[in-house]
Amino acid sequence: MAYGDRVALDEVSFGLHGGTFAGVLGPNGAGKTTLLHALLGTVAATGTIVLKGRTSYVPQLTAVSEAFPVDALGVVLMGRYPLLGWRRRPGRDDRRLAGELLDQVGLLDRARSPFGSLSGGQRQRVLVARALAQEGDVLLLDEPLTGIDAPSQKSILGVIRAQCAAGRTVVMTTHDLAQAARECDRLLLLNRTLIADGTAQEVLRAEVLGRAYEAEVLLLDGRAALIDEGAHHHPPTKPGGLP
Amino acid sequence: MFGPFDAPYMQSALLAGLLLAVPCGLLGVWVVLRGLAFFSHAVGVATFPGVVLGLGLPAIGPFAGSLAAAGAFGVAVSSVETDHRVRGGAVTGLALAAAMATGAVLLTTIAQVSTPVETVLFGSLLGISDTDVARCAVVAVTALGAMALLWTRLEASTFDRAWAEPAGARASRTDVLLLILIGFTVVTALPAVGSLMVSGLLVIPAATARLLCDRLVAMSACAVALCAAEVVIGLALARELDVAPGASIAALGGLGFALAAAVSAARSGLARRAPAT
Repeated sequence: MAYGDRVALDEVSFGLHGGTFAGVLGPNGAGKTTLLHALLGTVAATGTIVLKGRTSYVPQLTAVSEAFPVDALGVVLMGRYPLLGWRRRPGRDDRRLAGELLDQVGLLDRARSPFGSLSGGQRQRVLVARALAQEGDVLLLDEPLTGIDAPSQKSILGVIRAQCAAGRTVVMTTHDLAQAARECDRLLLLNRTLIADGTAQEVLRAEVLGRAYEAEVLLLDGRAALIDEGAHHHPPTKPGGLP
Repeated sequence: MFGPFDAPYMQSALLAGLLLAVPCGLLGVWVVLRGLAFFSHAVGVATFPGVVLGLGLPAIGPFAGSLAAAGAFGVAVSSVETDHRVRGGAVTGLALAAAMATGAVLLTTIAQVSTPVETVLFGSLLGISDTDVARCAVVAVTALGAMALLWTRLEASTFDRAWAEPAGARASRTDVLLLILIGFTVVTALPAVGSLMVSGLLVIPAATARLLCDRLVAMSACAVALCAAEVVIGLALARELDVAPGASIAALGGLGFALAAAVSAARSGLARRAPAT
């Protein structure tokens, strides 16, 4: 996978079963987002990608226009547009489903609130509900837990677990090694290439992490700790108005 | 009864203005939400050399001349703007200045133009021809049809492009179609409001509507209604005070925006002082 002549990711090979929750780890610029784009088909990959079914996607929250005049329910309804072929407007069934999805992320009472008036965590939950409305078989999330409040993190992780229980595959990029070790069934460690692939015990070992994070890893009593994890390229989400 | 719209030329002006309110209001929403206000203003100004050439060479005519100039401007700006070192309106600004300079040179050298420059820059809604009115009707219908077809794609890709692109919104194609529509609307509005006052119909009503509305459909309806109100009151004022209608329309728009900003500031001030619930 390459942007122009710059190869962002090289020799990445893995397979995921339905029902798996995979966490994609790696330093900034490791190619985590690029991997998601390759799975989405928006970046040309030179190898083969076999993806059963359709994808649902939660991009990074920072790119969303907060001034756009839309309420939470309207954002979730946008998730129906691809299924409706971008021509038909959402109907009553779509609206009912969107309401249920907002309920799943605990925001049914904010359905009519302007998106821009929600807090960062609430916005992220609305974007997760929009992805669920796409009804894809593979759910891809780009840093869904970064910079948001604990209740929102808990809500999103609950939704992900429910998706896995329903047999869907979930792939999430993250900076939080400890959280990924706790929550994910499978970890993919990237740095321009796939450094390691396996369970938390297999991947989160000092010598493996050292290869991925290079000088950024500090060894404390034989345990790896990351220096300055994720602080460079990911500013916290802007203050989000009323909570 | 002797109303301001009794004279046939006033009725033509009113009809043209009301027809223009539809595409200007509808497209203005996307101009505001996508931050294209400077681009749309520049397209209007960049038609200047085309209009001059079209007026000087009757075989071309001002409409074809301005359409060609707008197209050339759009292609030039979007192809140079891919260079990330000169983004943020720098290219638009320099292309705008270049277009004005070209127009000024053409005006004093090649083209023999009897139309005063003020008419080109500020429009002459009161002297609008039946052909111009018909063009306004075509653009109004085209904009309505385009909105029906592109609405969901525009909505999704303006709100969150990173999501819309992989979801199949064909964001780049939608961008190009939107810019072409804006170009056509601006060129069609030129005889009515002139190249310097197009923003009075395209940007100001939509920006005002954004202050008043929190939903896209409501904002669009509000923008069209504000455009229409500007046209009706602006024309009546122009007739009463004997000023150029392009100017009275734009001035009214500015006044409306100031009022809406004051109302919305007062509203949020009240909300802040209200006890928390």
